[in-house]
Amino acid sequence: MKIVRAMVLSVLVITLPAIAAPAHQHGSAKIDISVEGNKFTIGLEMPLDSTIGSERPARTDKEKLAYASMMAALKNPAGLFTPTAAANCRVESFQVSDPFPGGKPKPDGHADIDAEYLLICANPAALKGFETTLFKQFKRLQKIDVQRATPSGQGKMTMTPGQASAAW
Amino acid sequence: MSPIPLLRLAARSAWARRLTLGVTLVAIMLSTALLLCVERVRADARQSFTQSVSGVDLVVGARTGSVQLMLYAVFHAGAATNNVDWKSFEILSAHPAVEWALPLSLGDSHRGFAVLGTTPAYFERFSYGEHQSLKFRSGESFAKVFDAVVGSEVAAKLGYKVGDAITLSHGMGSANLLEHGDKPFQVVGILEVTGTPVDRTIHVGLEAITALHLDWVAGAPVKGLSIPQDFVSKFDLKPKEITAALIGLKRRSDVFRMQRFVNEFRGEPLLAVMPGVALDELWQTIGLVERTLFAVSVLVIIVGLAGLVATMLASLNERRRELAILRALGAGPGDIFIMLAAEGLLVTTLGAVLGAAMLAIVSTIFAPWLLEHLGVLLTPRLLSLSELYLFGGVIITGMLASLVPGWRAWRMSLADGLTPRT
Repeated sequence: MKIVRAMVLSVLVITLPAIAAPAHQHGSAKIDISVEGNKFTIGLEMPLDSTIGSERPARTDKEKLAYASMMAALKNPAGLFTPTAAANCRVESFQVSDPFPGGKPKPDGHADIDAEYLLICANPAALKGFETTLFKQFKRLQKIDVQRATPSGQGKMTMTPGQASAAW
Repeated sequence: MSPIPLLRLAARSAWARRLTLGVTLVAIMLSTALLLCVERVRADARQSFTQSVSGVDLVVGARTGSVQLMLYAVFHAGAATNNVDWKSFEILSAHPAVEWALPLSLGDSHRGFAVLGTTPAYFERFSYGEHQSLKFRSGESFAKVFDAVVGSEVAAKLGYKVGDAITLSHGMGSANLLEHGDKPFQVVGILEVTGTPVDRTIHVGLEAITALHLDWVAGAPVKGLSIPQDFVSKFDLKPKEITAALIGLKRRSDVFRMQRFVNEFRGEPLLAVMPGVALDELWQTIGLVERTLFAVSVLVIIVGLAGLVATMLASLNERRRELAILRALGAGPGDIFIMLAAEGLLVTTLGAVLGAAMLAIVSTIFAPWLLEHLGVLLTPRLLSLSELYLFGGVIITGMLASLVPGWRAWRMSLADGLTPRT
């Protein structure tokens, strides 16, 4: 087991760069969830490229339409996330950020869309996971890294179009 | 024929060939025990790995990779790229969201074991597994500057007891390390076994780390300058920097916000990782090794069952007459088929049950030894749910495999057995 331990550690050191998720990666998104008391918080961070395919303020009609439908989707949390039914959660409040404050493009050329949803669960003990329709809504999205801080501890999961749910 | 006498007949016939079937049984028993053992060690190693630390919301260190930070702060493997300024630590611990913060100072060692400088609060705050806290097997936490608390493995390997004197070395590894020989420590406490890196650590006060290096400059003792142990208390022993910090928050939901605060800290480049998230990342990378081990043990099961089929097929030759007589006495081809299939199932089931029992006994006997010597915590149990699936899988595969000799006997029993060939 000493040897196994040493092996494990060296495999880790070699593979380290492969698992450090970059802050802004097109095609992927990040979700941070926390459960505390009856509050279930979902924090979403997506590169705009993953949702509408460009990261500058909409100019053409097509871009404006795509942007508007993205906003409409993000402002309908009940259609985006389905927590464990038995937990009996309902959306309390949400906030979707403006990716271009003042309508100006970001200096580094990249832009994210952030949103935060607060759900109140009548039976939080039954909350064991959630499903998302984000992949259906945004076809360019291929991967969501989920970080969780729940009563059972912290953890990390990855959601993909084929596995659009997370459980803990 | 009704099934009950048929099964009795199958059992008696098997008993008549107990030697060959016995060997096959042992093969199946051992391969089942191996498969279940791999699964158990995998599950339990994962458990003790991911539960090395619990109840800590954030691990903070100088900016580096998240896994690197976990490796040195929690597993004491590898080295920090940079230190954290004590002032930064003070600012973080005063943050309104923070309930407690533990400083960690690493870098020295004692005969291959890591030395961790921290505060006595460490023994109250640090927890592992399902929020189990550290317990003292004997002695107590450090009170004086040169007091040390050792982990269970350190105490067992080096034979330390409360009251022993030890000296620390500067750096990790074993070759040509400079000794802090002028300032020996006294062991004041020994911790209970935890199955985590704590067992392999020597804990001293943060001030002790400063005191050890008072008369050191640029990583070496200054010639001609030696500050005697009794005088160190006259110096300011507040550390200038630490290696990492463990942080507990008042509210769990603040963790992402606090993480962002640390990562965007203005004073110096810092990194905060959520230990549970980083440990999951770590385990994902070693998933390949895990799957390989599992594949090998599945192969061993297949070899065991192939042995069963081969033995049974070979025995058909010896049993030509037996089966032909049964047919002549009125057993239909279907009865012969059931008899053979039942024999296969009987041997597989018995082998699997014995294998599971063997694992249960062996793991119960060796669990304390494994924990003490290898740091792997095996939970004594008969079968977990995932092991039960594997167990069922072995029996079903064995049943399917014994259909082969059954089918062959069914086809051949009459024509073959009644045509004497000499």
